[in-house]
Amino acid sequence: MAEGEKPPSYEAAVERLEEIIDRLDSGQAGLRETLELCREGRELVGYCAGELDAVGEGLKELRLDELAARLDPDAT
Amino acid sequence: MDQLPPVDPGQIELDVPRPSADPELPGPFPVGRYADKLQEEMRKRARVLLVGEVTGVGRSRVQAYFELRDGDGAVPCAIWLNDLERAGLPEGALRDGVELVIAGGPDYYPGGGAASPSFCFRATHLRLAGEGDLMLRLEALRKQLRGEGLFELQRQLRRPLLPRALGVVTAESGAARRDLVAGLQRRGWAGTVVWAFAPVQDRRAEPAITAAIQDLAARPEVEAIVVTRGGGSLADLWAFCDETLCRTVAMLRVPVVSAVGHERDSTLIDDVAAVACSTPTHAAEAAVPLDCVAARRELGRAGHSLRRAADGAVGARARHLGSLARGPARALRRERSQLNQKIREVRAATERGLNERSAFQRRIAAVVLDRVRRRAIERTAAGRAEERRRGAIIERAAARDLERRREVLRQAAVTLRAHDPERTLERGYALAEGSDGEAVTSAHAAAAAGDVRLRFADGRVGARVDAEVERDG
Repeated sequence: MAEGEKPPSYEAAVERLEEIIDRLDSGQAGLRETLELCREGRELVGYCAGELDAVGEGLKELRLDELAARLDPDAT
Repeated sequence: MDQLPPVDPGQIELDVPRPSADPELPGPFPVGRYADKLQEEMRKRARVLLVGEVTGVGRSRVQAYFELRDGDGAVPCAIWLNDLERAGLPEGALRDGVELVIAGGPDYYPGGGAASPSFCFRATHLRLAGEGDLMLRLEALRKQLRGEGLFELQRQLRRPLLPRALGVVTAESGAARRDLVAGLQRRGWAGTVVWAFAPVQDRRAEPAITAAIQDLAARPEVEAIVVTRGGGSLADLWAFCDETLCRTVAMLRVPVVSAVGHERDSTLIDDVAAVACSTPTHAAEAAVPLDCVAARRELGRAGHSLRRAADGAVGARARHLGSLARGPARALRRERSQLNQKIREVRAATERGLNERSAFQRRIAAVVLDRVRRRAIERTAAGRAEERRRGAIIERAAARDLERRREVLRQAAVTLRAHDPERTLERGYALAEGSDGEAVTSAHAAAAAGDVRLRFADGRVGARVDAEVERDG
């Protein structure tokens, strides 16, 4: 994943993160690759943490009928 | 049910002349007579049982009327009030939304005067549909939808692991709502829930639920939809077996998680949904597959692994570089150590060689000495033999010499004996000896000595010399 690029989904991010950790744990990566993987991994961790934060700040409950009324006041 | 056959025109008397411009068809017939004939034909049709859902219940003075319908169509029905009373339904049981099984056949009211004609299915018996009736209908519909491949569509959709927003269709006041929220919270998920409250049990439920699902699916932020309600009889859950609702769910591009009824309940929406769950709690887990609590923990571990890998990569390489930098000195030490080792080995080998050589030389010397000793012994033995031989020769020569000397000695002894004075004495001569034992060999010496001793062969005797020397002559 290029620097600054956003993963397509949480699943993709987690999958890529597991690949990165497996690669790092294998000890096969050279220094440059290791640093690049760590950078990408940190970005993915940050993205995942952001996603988890987004669903961790408190349940937000909306009513569909109210949303619909907000969009179309004449409908009510 | 057989198709309603057309009224046979041959059974209607034709008494009106046909204008030549009309199509080549029987008639025209008086409509009242045709209506009577139609009623007669209708009433000849076979009597059957129908099952369906009641809508539009109404009553007149003599009969009750309603529509009986399912997903494929509807039939207007009527029952005389006395037949309805005989059916013995509970009070208020004939109402919109109930499933009925009715017995009867088609009927036609020709109208008359101001009354309008009408068609209906004239019910003579009716009862509330039982589970078995509903199950038959359900299975038929299930088979049909499965045959159309509608069960696979939702299951092929990708369900997000961590949706930010869920749409939920349920009753506003119900345990299902509470259980779902509790299930979501147990997973550590606290995103956005868009509630679409709808009736979940009566006649209004099906279109309301269908509309709610469609409206939620139209919301861009909604990533998955949960449809849930508590348990009940199949009749209670019948709204969730509605064909329109199920077709709608099957065609959605948003995954639908159904949790209708309890584990033993099987509604059609369960078949077309992406996931069918037995409880709202289970639905929460299916709608948010990621356990956020565990995921946060895992993410922390992943972050730690990355830090460790990064630190390790640099640290390990720094250590490696340091090690490489110390390499020459270490190599020198190693070489020196190896050299010392070689020297020690050489010394040891030298000592070992010397010892071996010394031992070898000792062995050689021992062999040589032994050989020399044996030769010496052999020479000594030979010398001794020679000596013995020579000794024998010497001994023999000595014996001969001794014999010769003995012979000489004997000759000398004989000669000596011949000259021995003792032998002269033995012949009668006497020897004068002085007092000192010396021989007195002259007359003067005798005269001078005065006393002499005369020695004879057999002894001595003293003698006195008292005369003068007399000369012989």
